[in-house]
Amino acid sequence: MKYCFILLITLSSSSLLAQNFTISGSVKDSTNGEDLYGASVRVKELTNVGAITNAYGFYSLTLEKGLYTLVYGSSGFDQKEVKIELDKDMSIDLELNVPSEIQELGDVIVKAEKGNNNITSAEMNVTKLTPKDIETIPVLFGEKDIMKTLQLTPGVKGAGEGNAGFFVRGGGADQNLILLDEAPVYNASHLLGFFSVFNSDAIKDVALYKSGIPAEYGGRASSVMDVKMRDGNKKQFEASGGIGLISSRLTVEGPIVKDKGSFIISGRRSYVDIFLKLSKDEQIQNTSLFFYDLNMKANYKLGEKDRIFLSGYFGRDNFGFGDDFGFNWGNATGTLRWNHIINQKLFSNTSLVYSNFDYAFNIGAEGEDDSFGVQSSIQDWNVKQDFTYYANQNNTLKFGLNGIHHTFKPGALTGGNESFNELVLDSRYAIEMGAYIQNTHKVGNRLNLMYGLRYSGFNLIGDGNRYDFAENGTATTTEFDKWETIKYHNGLEPRLSASYLLTEKNSIKMSYNRNFQYLHQVSNSTSSSPTDIWVPSSNNVNPQIADQIAAGYYHNLKDNMYALSGEIYYKFLQNQIDYKNGANSFLNDEVEGEFVYGKGRAYGLEIQLRKTKGRFTGWISYTLSRSLRTFDQIDGGKEFSARQDRIHDIAVVAMFKINKSLAASATWIYYTGDAVTFPSGGYSVNNTFIPLYTERNGYRMPDYHRLDLGLTWYHKEKKRFESNMNFSVYNAYGRENAFSITFEPEDPDAPNGPQKAVQTTLFKLIPAITWNFNIK
Amino acid sequence: MKNILYILIAVATFSSCQKDIDLDLNSANPSIVIEANYAAEDSTVSVRITKTVNYFGSEAVPTVDNATVTITDQNGVSQSVPFSSNGDYTLTNYAPQLNTIYSLKVVIGGVSYSASSKMASPVIMDTIAYDWFEGGFGFDEGFVMVINFLDPADTVNFYAARFTVNGTEFNRLDEGFTQDDALTDGNYQSRPLFGGPQVDSLDVVGLELLSIDQAIYNYLNEAASIVGGSTSAAPGNPTSNWDNDALGYFSAYSSSRQEVTLP
Repeated sequence: MKYCFILLITLSSSSLLAQNFTISGSVKDSTNGEDLYGASVRVKELTNVGAITNAYGFYSLTLEKGLYTLVYGSSGFDQKEVKIELDKDMSIDLELNVPSEIQELGDVIVKAEKGNNNITSAEMNVTKLTPKDIETIPVLFGEKDIMKTLQLTPGVKGAGEGNAGFFVRGGGADQNLILLDEAPVYNASHLLGFFSVFNSDAIKDVALYKSGIPAEYGGRASSVMDVKMRDGNKKQFEASGGIGLISSRLTVEGPIVKDKGSFIISGRRSYVDIFLKLSKDEQIQNTSLFFYDLNMKANYKLGEKDRIFLSGYFGRDNFGFGDDFGFNWGNATGTLRWNHIINQKLFSNTSLVYSNFDYAFNIGAEGEDDSFGVQSSIQDWNVKQDFTYYANQNNTLKFGLNGIHHTFKPGALTGGNESFNELVLDSRYAIEMGAYIQNTHKVGNRLNLMYGLRYSGFNLIGDGNRYDFAENGTATTTEFDKWETIKYHNGLEPRLSASYLLTEKNSIKMSYNRNFQYLHQVSNSTSSSPTDIWVPSSNNVNPQIADQIAAGYYHNLKDNMYALSGEIYYKFLQNQIDYKNGANSFLNDEVEGEFVYGKGRAYGLEIQLRKTKGRFTGWISYTLSRSLRTFDQIDGGKEFSARQDRIHDIAVVAMFKINKSLAASATWIYYTGDAVTFPSGGYSVNNTFIPLYTERNGYRMPDYHRLDLGLTWYHKEKKRFESNMNFSVYNAYGRENAFSITFEPEDPDAPNGPQKAVQTTLFKLIPAITWNFNIK
Repeated sequence: MKNILYILIAVATFSSCQKDIDLDLNSANPSIVIEANYAAEDSTVSVRITKTVNYFGSEAVPTVDNATVTITDQNGVSQSVPFSSNGDYTLTNYAPQLNTIYSLKVVIGGVSYSASSKMASPVIMDTIAYDWFEGGFGFDEGFVMVINFLDPADTVNFYAARFTVNGTEFNRLDEGFTQDDALTDGNYQSRPLFGGPQVDSLDVVGLELLSIDQAIYNYLNEAASIVGGSTSAAPGNPTSNWDNDALGYFSAYSSSRQEVTLP
């Protein structure tokens, strides 16, 4: 209530001004007509007056009558100016060009552009990347991967090799909300984590919020990764693609009706299994292993005020072992959106979103007596209504609501033979809802505020069972009818961030946010597996709650050529979940009885120095952080390190344009080894030597470090055809980083004799080559 | 499941490699380990009491020879389990009462440890059979023993199976088999025992089907999952039914046995 009151006062006070007119429109990329999100439109004559485009490139600015110069720009584009005479409400679409220095790699002129959005915007700790930013960064097998590149920024830590999961500021891998055109992606990895599901060719940009998360987002405790698909070229047909060592991709895009609508279709398939045929081992020869994915999007302008978007993603991984074993999993998402400009100040978007993740495995050849299969899925239907209201030059309001219907199918065992009974675990249903209001508020020339409130609720509904567990673990079951409430959880999530401009060159920012998370993914394995299940909140499982406060100092040097930032944060996590020792999570209706509950905290310092202009660009980041957990049932309630408690984390990213046709890059990362549980003794039972564990995560894996190198060779540009060749080397100095450390007897024939530790390394020096092309 | 995922990772990465490393592990304070069985079929209570050692190192497991061991039936009648040799305590000719709870108490230097276990009814093995397996799934070509029995309907049963080959007993934790009847209640079971000890032509193979209680079933599974390393992110000690932080277990079980000579 208090928030609404403040909002009311600020809005009414400024709307008393007379003779105001509104200028609105969109900001686009001049080459292909793509909407630019987060572009700034400022007024040169006035300090701290401007607007930022919303997710659809729309801006609106209300000013007093007069003559103005609009200065507009976006990261990765040349800044432009336009003079206007404002004496009536007007609509202007603005277009931005990619900088000439990217087009001609030769002479580099450092432009005296302002480029200090990082200092002036109220949004804190948002990391934005476009596929262009990462084009030359070296990656494993030469597969451009925006998710892997995000892990090189401070506060974001990859879950390790063989794992596409990531940790943000000490939170768990399930605490990141990953959205693809508003649809949640439940499993963002291919090939068990070696690649992410995001095909860079189809992606416009990615924004990652680490703190001060805007109120429009909800549902996860630690971060939001908002991935937006490209709309497709509105001006001309275009085909682009790449042929790589283990996968190839092709994208086709173009106008449906010129400047009215466009489409894009982008596909990718890997062919690792072709190499497996070369193996001498018959078992490996018979193994199939591949993934494919398809991104599709179309948009059409129905009139001056209406536009619709339809986007979809479909991806699948397949793994087979002759006829004996098959395993496949994948995501499917679909988003239908309708943009409507109600008036020059009020923008509306309505979305219908579908998301599905499922996996299945089957054992034995189909149709045979003893074959059986296991299936599991999670499915969402989501309805969203969002408004952006450009109240006046100092206030931009966002408000909206949404409702999600979740269907969880935790598992089913089908087929089977005489000795197996078919088993279908009960489906679970839930309605998750959210309503929010948020204001971006400029106070005077120096202070920018963003404050908002989100209400979220989660209703676990029938038909289904409620399980009440007695002390000894036995469950009492109560049945519920369809749509009947089994358990309702809800909460208020205040969000606040503020930035204060000290000078044009430096600013300080602060933020606080509270996030509720109602779905939980519990994993007891070190590598992410598609079979890690999602569990809804219930009478036994309470929602996870995260509170985070953060503060930062930002300083631009040498005419915004360098950006230096330092941020500190403290995060408190409630209702964290872990498995009991020896928990039975497989095909268990009463899996909630296998959990233990605790709390956590994380804190840290992140420092980054970026060079944003010139032939040489890149950054150095350093993070000092801790992530700790406390569970009554683990180590007698003693605080222990979370697995991702990496104390020191350094990333160096360097990109250098050698000349018109060559660009080189290098990345180096270093981090403290993950916390891990090793034995501190051993004993003998049943004539078997067993490890004795005394402390959860009391040991450390060896420190991790790696250098990757890349070289991109741009072929001479022809009128309609461009191409480049990308060479990369992953782990260039062949560091043997530990993927796992396991224990085994020194002599396999004397299992109770002396033991030894064995380290497995996955990748030592992997070269790759990829050829990319573009036809217009 | 986890093994299959590991195969996948291994297949996916041609460059993976392994090497032995030096690792500095802590030395935990020695704790008491009690491995206790009451086998109905033999009317024998056998208890072995030892202590923990350092993980790396070749020291012999120290035995505890000065303990007082007593078993108590559910009517409260106690009997001493006498010391035999080298940490072993044995009581023979102790007649079992099926479907009752037995308690075992061990006192070492004034510290007392106790555990109890329910003696289940035996499930009678029908026959044991064998098959010739062509190899696959990481198992070599060879004989596979098959255990046949009818799971009693409408009761919850927990099983373990154990091999004897030419008189040598295989009772290591990672050589045993366990099964519950959650998916198979009341069905006739014909279960191949993959991954058992290697058996060859003319071997005399004995199989024992044990009816155990749930705590022991869990213990055996948890223990087997950590023997020789674990893929779990948070491996823990198996849940013991002993109190006072003693390691090990006490199992009262019934069983049935069969023998076959391979062709």
